[in-house]
Amino acid sequence: MSDLSSLLVRTEPISPDHLVNDVAEIFSSNDYERFLCLPVVDGGRPVGTVSRHKLTNIFMTRFGRDLYGKNSVTKVMNPKPLVIDIKQAMERAALHVSRNIGSPITEDFILTDDGEYRGIGFVLDLLGAMERQIERRNVELSKALRNLKESQAQLVQSEKMASLGQMVAGVAHEINTPLGYVKNNIEMTREGFRETGNLLHAYDAFIRMISSETPDEDAITRQMQVIEELRQEYDEVFPEEDLISIYDDTLYGIEQISEMVINLKNFSRLDQAAVANVNLNDCINSSLLIAKNVLKHKAEVIKQYDAQLPTIACSPSQINQIFLNLLTNAAQAIEDGKAGRIQIRTWADSEFVYASVQDNGKGIEKAKLKKIFDPFFTTKPVGQGTGLGLSIAFKIIQQHKGTIRVGSEVGVGTRFLVSLPRKSRIQAAF
Amino acid sequence: MASDKPTILFVDDEERIVRSLRMMFRADYNVKVFTNGFEALEFLKENRVQAVISDQRMPSITGVELLREVRNISPNTMRLLLTGYSDLEAIVGSINEGEIFRYISKPWNADEIRETVAKAVEIAQSLEQVALPANRDLAGAGEHLLIIDDDPDTASAIKQVVEEELDQPHVVEWAVSVDSVFEILERKEIAVVISEMHLGERDITPLIKTLKRYNPNVVTMVLTSFRDASALVALINEGQVHRFLPKPVRRKLVAKSIRDAVERYRALKAAPQLAKRHQVEEIKKPADSGLSNRIIGFMRRLRTA
Repeated sequence: MSDLSSLLVRTEPISPDHLVNDVAEIFSSNDYERFLCLPVVDGGRPVGTVSRHKLTNIFMTRFGRDLYGKNSVTKVMNPKPLVIDIKQAMERAALHVSRNIGSPITEDFILTDDGEYRGIGFVLDLLGAMERQIERRNVELSKALRNLKESQAQLVQSEKMASLGQMVAGVAHEINTPLGYVKNNIEMTREGFRETGNLLHAYDAFIRMISSETPDEDAITRQMQVIEELRQEYDEVFPEEDLISIYDDTLYGIEQISEMVINLKNFSRLDQAAVANVNLNDCINSSLLIAKNVLKHKAEVIKQYDAQLPTIACSPSQINQIFLNLLTNAAQAIEDGKAGRIQIRTWADSEFVYASVQDNGKGIEKAKLKKIFDPFFTTKPVGQGTGLGLSIAFKIIQQHKGTIRVGSEVGVGTRFLVSLPRKSRIQAAF
Repeated sequence: MASDKPTILFVDDEERIVRSLRMMFRADYNVKVFTNGFEALEFLKENRVQAVISDQRMPSITGVELLREVRNISPNTMRLLLTGYSDLEAIVGSINEGEIFRYISKPWNADEIRETVAKAVEIAQSLEQVALPANRDLAGAGEHLLIIDDDPDTASAIKQVVEEELDQPHVVEWAVSVDSVFEILERKEIAVVISEMHLGERDITPLIKTLKRYNPNVVTMVLTSFRDASALVALINEGQVHRFLPKPVRRKLVAKSIRDAVERYRALKAAPQLAKRHQVEEIKKPADSGLSNRIIGFMRRLRTA
């Protein structure tokens, strides 16, 4: 940071004994062209200033020079000049100067160090220095702003990654179960296929035997026994009705997996427009499927959808993210072993579409409820939440020109209400 | 139905899973499948069962709860958990409460699960005639306990628990390095090992596993603040850890666990065949093969000595 000493102009002061004429002489010399005033110093301490403006005024009056020229400067000087300590911060000095300076500007300021005269400073220089300083500040500020925006983007990104991770884990578990039995079934039926082959070979050998021109009765009997044994073993390991159900299960499992994949695509909407006309019921259903793993064994989901719910223009992937967040929160609020219930309602009026998610979980205290949409505020144990989920939900809904509200009672449950305008003009997505 | 085949139970709330498993195992076993854990327990009360293989997350009863009941009803039945969730709490429960033989992840590998179930059934069958030692056989004066931990506070806390909470005069040894573990093992017959999972930066789970592998009578407890699901699963399958306890030391819990471990050690000593129940799996990923090899070398020397 630049300080006042950079503005110091070391100039020989005049003493109180100087005459007005002497001062006029000094002012008229080229060296003092820039000077608006001259400092008057007595015993090393500034006692006043004589300004060019004042002298000009005097000399312009009739007989001014004759009347005042021989007087000492103390007669015409400003006895209360602007005096600034050189150790002061530039800003405080600037503030002091701008508050005390007269208009028009007819004087500069005196710089002292512990009351000792050091020199003078030009107001114009001070202004210039201030301007440069402000410019520097501006650069710093915009850099800070950029950093802030970047770190905010990073936070939003990390929350996205966290909810993505949660989603992926849920989906992975959902796919894991069908994958387990589908894989096993296929491995088993491949084995069964080999057994079938053995059986066929035995039948082939049998047919060759009986169609031989010289059939060997003993061999045929033995072969029949072989076939009988193989057949029995086969039936025992692969009973027909079991095989059919194994195939049905396998197809069912594959159907489950493809449904999950389709839903994942719907949920993320990676291959679709960022803004689309959607039905909130569909968004919620999509989120429910993704959250299935979290909700399963935890809560019964009661849907009370308005079947005639009008579609709205919104960013479906963001809205899905909000519902996933609300559903996950609801599930996490329900204590283990409690018969959980999550009630989802949708409805509309002439202006808005509404969706509410209500749980019978442990509820949120009043004091905490106020902070619930604040970034980094979380009631969850470490590792379970970033504290950003709801603040991002709030932001998204705000961008959609909607509202999100919460009501809660400890021990009874929590209810979130989302409203989105039917005719929306959403702002650029973040 | 061939009644001479060993009986195994599969419990999973997804019926397609149990159907698939039934078909897979029906050639060699008398397979019973249940989608409801309580029905499985009812069956267990009336029938001799060699192994129960259960899912963890089920609506009415969790796998850990089920296997804990299985342990009470039929101690000889081998217990295995088959699950798609690496949920830490469940894993810790399966060690401390379920005392399970193996933790199998879904989706499973067909050969591996066949082998694991066969092993479990074989062990159960071979021990059917072995009576569990009576309580009076489990009496004893004091045993040697070995703490492996480089944190002096933990070591002194455990020593204090042993002195103040336990009636028997156990001798507590304390090792802060792998070398001192060797040195102590050479001098003393250790009953219970209470170990951290790390010494400094070093992962010492291979030490814990190898100790159990070459010294099946030793009962191991892990006491750590480290929480990693896959490391824990490996400690079950490859180390048959008897208890998993959190740091810092909780007096009552540690005291109870040491009592259980000493009792287990004495039971194994009275009926060494029982150690089969805690047979370990081959170590899959020797992260620190140098350490494993050193331990194996040491154990061989110790046994031939």
